[in-house]
Amino acid sequence: MKIFGKLRILGILLILMGFGYSTTQAQYLEEFENKVTEFTLDNGLHFIIIERHQAPVASFYTAVNVGGVDEPVGNTGIAHIFEHMAFKGNDYIGTTDWEKESKVIEQMDEAYQAWLAEKYSVNPDSVKLEELWSTFQDLQENSKQYVVNNEFSKIIEKNGGTGLNASTSSDRTNYFYSLPSNRAELWFNLEAGRFKKPIFREFYVEKEVVREERRMRTESNPVGRLVEEFIAVAYTAHPYGRPVVGWNSDITATTIEDAHDFYEKYYVPSNMTMAIAGDVDPDRMKELAETYFGDLEAGEPAPKVTTIEPPQRGERRFTIEGKSQPILLMGYHGVSQSHEDFEALNLMGNMISTGRTSRLYKKLVEEEKMALQVGAFNGFPGSRFSSLFLTLAVPNRGIDVDSLEQAVYTEIEAVKEGDLTQEELDRARTNIRANLIRGLNNNTGLALSFANAHMDQGNWREVFRRLDRIEQVTLEDIQRVAKKYLVKDQRTVGATVKADS
Amino acid sequence: MMFSLSLMAQKRYDEIEYPELNEIETPAIEEFSLDNGIKFYLVEDHELPLVNVRILVQSGSILEPKSKTGLASMTGTVMRSGGSENYPADKLNKLLEDNAANLSTYLGFSSGGASLNVLKEDFDDILPVFVDVLQNPAFPEDKVDLAKTQTKSGISRRNDNQQAIGSREFRDLIYGENSIYTQQTEYETVNNISQNDLINFHKDAFVGNNMMIGIVGDFNTEEMKQKLEEAFSSFPAGEETNIIFPEVNYDYPVTINFVDKPDVNQSFVTLGHIGGLRENPDYPAIQVMNQVLGGGFSGRLFQKVRTELGLAYSVGGGYRSNINYPGSFQITTMTKSSTTAEAIDAIIEEIERMKTEPPTEEKLQETKDQFLNSLVFRSVSKSQILNRQMNNEYNGLSPEAFNELIEGIKATTPADVQSVAKKYLRPDKLQILVVGNKEEIGDQLDKYGNINELDISIPQPPAEKKEQEAGDANQGKEWLAKMAEAVIEAGTEVTSIAQTGSQTIVTPQGAVDIPGTITNNYAEDKVKAILNAPQGTIEMTVQDGKGTQKMAGQEFPMPPASVKQIQQELERDYINIALSYASLEAEYLGKESIDGTEYVKLRVNFDTPVTYYLDPATNLPNILTYEQFNPRLGKSQQVKTTYSNWKTVDGVTFAFTVESTADGEKTSSQSIESIEVNKEN
Repeated sequence: MKIFGKLRILGILLILMGFGYSTTQAQYLEEFENKVTEFTLDNGLHFIIIERHQAPVASFYTAVNVGGVDEPVGNTGIAHIFEHMAFKGNDYIGTTDWEKESKVIEQMDEAYQAWLAEKYSVNPDSVKLEELWSTFQDLQENSKQYVVNNEFSKIIEKNGGTGLNASTSSDRTNYFYSLPSNRAELWFNLEAGRFKKPIFREFYVEKEVVREERRMRTESNPVGRLVEEFIAVAYTAHPYGRPVVGWNSDITATTIEDAHDFYEKYYVPSNMTMAIAGDVDPDRMKELAETYFGDLEAGEPAPKVTTIEPPQRGERRFTIEGKSQPILLMGYHGVSQSHEDFEALNLMGNMISTGRTSRLYKKLVEEEKMALQVGAFNGFPGSRFSSLFLTLAVPNRGIDVDSLEQAVYTEIEAVKEGDLTQEELDRARTNIRANLIRGLNNNTGLALSFANAHMDQGNWREVFRRLDRIEQVTLEDIQRVAKKYLVKDQRTVGATVKADS
Repeated sequence: MMFSLSLMAQKRYDEIEYPELNEIETPAIEEFSLDNGIKFYLVEDHELPLVNVRILVQSGSILEPKSKTGLASMTGTVMRSGGSENYPADKLNKLLEDNAANLSTYLGFSSGGASLNVLKEDFDDILPVFVDVLQNPAFPEDKVDLAKTQTKSGISRRNDNQQAIGSREFRDLIYGENSIYTQQTEYETVNNISQNDLINFHKDAFVGNNMMIGIVGDFNTEEMKQKLEEAFSSFPAGEETNIIFPEVNYDYPVTINFVDKPDVNQSFVTLGHIGGLRENPDYPAIQVMNQVLGGGFSGRLFQKVRTELGLAYSVGGGYRSNINYPGSFQITTMTKSSTTAEAIDAIIEEIERMKTEPPTEEKLQETKDQFLNSLVFRSVSKSQILNRQMNNEYNGLSPEAFNELIEGIKATTPADVQSVAKKYLRPDKLQILVVGNKEEIGDQLDKYGNINELDISIPQPPAEKKEQEAGDANQGKEWLAKMAEAVIEAGTEVTSIAQTGSQTIVTPQGAVDIPGTITNNYAEDKVKAILNAPQGTIEMTVQDGKGTQKMAGQEFPMPPASVKQIQQELERDYINIALSYASLEAEYLGKESIDGTEYVKLRVNFDTPVTYYLDPATNLPNILTYEQFNPRLGKSQQVKTTYSNWKTVDGVTFAFTVESTADGEKTSSQSIESIEVNKEN
């Protein structure tokens, strides 16, 4: 149950890998036309089946077009909390008596809400608060008697399931695992169970697990702290500025009722895409899809994010003084995935920072020996909405952050001057193409990239069609987008530095 | 066809009937060897137009001398980054990236290797380049320097990550600080590595008799064999490396260990003891035990610590068995500071429970099902199958080992699980390590025994000090005696000196004055300071390698790094030198003129040598210099202390004005009002 996939990439400082999936020639598209079967159920739920008969296994992937950006104010982190709840079972898995359990859960949530109401009232009464809290705790204890610990995950594990996990990012929520391919029906069964009628078992204990996750990834981690601060500074209005794991007080304020409302709004079939890749028969998969998901109600289309980030009025800078060695982030406001400049910005990031011949690496790591690591990539913290072109630099021992920052600008200015060459552009294209090919023999990767392409761009074929777009980007385009977007006014610069002690 | 029976009805999950699993195709692996000893393993895989070459080399950092820890890793790095003579770095990088070819080299702990992944149409062009890089790497000086810079930057950052600190220090507790299994690269060991060391390390490692090569991809086996023979037959046969894994016989007292990390709000907890070897008839039952205790979502630890108690996001671990040397039994979690002891207790309880409460038949069956049903995932790709065979052969694991494990797991009973738990889990031998926030944790750890606070400060790089000039030892001795006489009158006995005055410390926010009394007790090797700081009176004491600070009635231990610094200050104090000059070694380095005064330059050889500049007119030490590592800047600085305003009190001549700089910037000064000799007895 990982959160924020892209942030994790940052965590290991391998931004260069950011855009793993990419494109390929018409030849591959044609080949996959024969391997891919698509269908949409009457309720709007879309399936993509990718046949790969190399081994008797299959990977199953559910993508939901909901992430941190869609959360209501006051409930940041709710998309991720819901993701955790999706491992708690259903009305007969994980419980000894759902009828009784569900009643206690309802009472427990009411008690928690009563406590919250008192806590945030004008003059909270401490005696009353304590009483309300102990009522809530009694109900929580009471509810535990019906719980069969982790039964949902156990069923998957004993059937040979591997890679069981889920992730929530700013843009979307993913659920995935692999099974021996003869057990595909188990996935349909369990997936339908958790998304047709979610239960909120162990909700309030699980929120404490989420808080530990927040401590681990953000509060006790220098990179996590920096990134959380960075997006909060870079975005004024758009929800990309909020942490996917949620602010601590929002985690406290989130109730089962909130989570249920969130589910009702966003977990509708038209907002979900499911993909299966592996040794499966598409006709049989379609039968199973209809059997298990046919009765899922269509519901209303999910609400849209309407806030647009206003133009930035000047450079924003901050430093976090701490005890760890310095790290530097620089981000420029750019565009969303659907914008015509998106691929040019991607290519630019790839050209200046991917591989040992790239400018940032060659200059700052090899020649000047200023940076331990340096990277640039487009589309942070997401790509559904207008996002950032991000540069990260890790100074070598004894190199100060300011000189490294200036050195990165020198390289960026050169790009704006038109310094990049056709050779560098060709090289970037070649490597994007080859990386796509390398990703095609992996069930999980195929399911993930095809489903995401469908959800974000309306068609799995965009995975391959991206090549055409990349071929159309010229050096002039790259210089133009560099000049247009990589400007000081649109920049946020954040660093962790060692406090003087 | 069999599906038509079950059409169109939702079932409970436990009513689903599964069709037979399709056959797993096991590819035939073609093997052959060359006269120079290289063994090849080939598998065709035509799914994608790619060829992947993987080389395993018998070598690793286990072979490097302790004084040059980091040598193997750097050799692996510079083989690739430095290119060969025919393909120097820039040319090589362009060639590879223009063809979207990935080439990498590495040397790990007890194996090394290289890999090449290339589009099939480029294979013939790139293969000779790959071979040249492996056989004739150039190890150019600039890339050696780059690797050193980067390695050192890595060292400077190694205490930023709480989990990394915990894993590293725990190994020290289990295998011992000086074990080959815990060897750690330091600034000093990096400085000790030369270009020639890399050249020689590579020369011994990358020889035919050490190499296994696996190739999987879109090729024709017969054609490929010919290409490989041509490409690799020029490799020298060399001598097969004999890797010896020393036994682990580190015995330790059971301790509770702590690393203070004030910038976290979660404790990284790891506890355990030494583990076992793969070659063990109990190995299958141990794997089952591990699964029951700490495996996946259904392990007891996950169920208890995470799901039931909500104490952690991550918890797990097990009793690990290595092939060549003992693994470790280790359980790890991360929990908020306030529940550190609660989490430790919950984990210990689960370890105890493994010994007293065997898994139920049902739980055991689930564990076996999980293992057996997921076996198919061990053979989903041809490269996976090829890699497994190569790894087994490299490690000397018999081809039957895996089947024996499967059969062993099938045969394991609940009693077997309990019996291995009783035999291998030793709650009485648990080393506990916590990396966390001392202030937030409070006294929670006291109940586990005396807390051993670990010093994780990064040793400064001594070799970065300027080359030491050799001096005259006899003259050194003479000048040292003269200085001692000038400072302490003959016949004066000195046990302690208390100085009262004001310390001025320069901070980025400005200078801060702190009045107080500092007493150096030379007889007892003890320093005591009572300072009237803006936040109240602070009492600091350092003695016997330990330090405490008292403030507002509360006592805190001092960080080990501060203790060490104060001890060093006491050691290089000129009074201390005057008292113990007979047993010290010093070198006379000639005369040097500073600001118009000609001084006698005298180096005293402590672990960190210091240089005193004596005024030949008085023989008093007017200037002191030494190198000190500044962890904030990540580099060494030259500290210079100037002593003036000398006054004699009770036979001791003392500098009443002291000023210090680091790399020329003022850092502190002292203005002393009075001193008392032998006040403290």
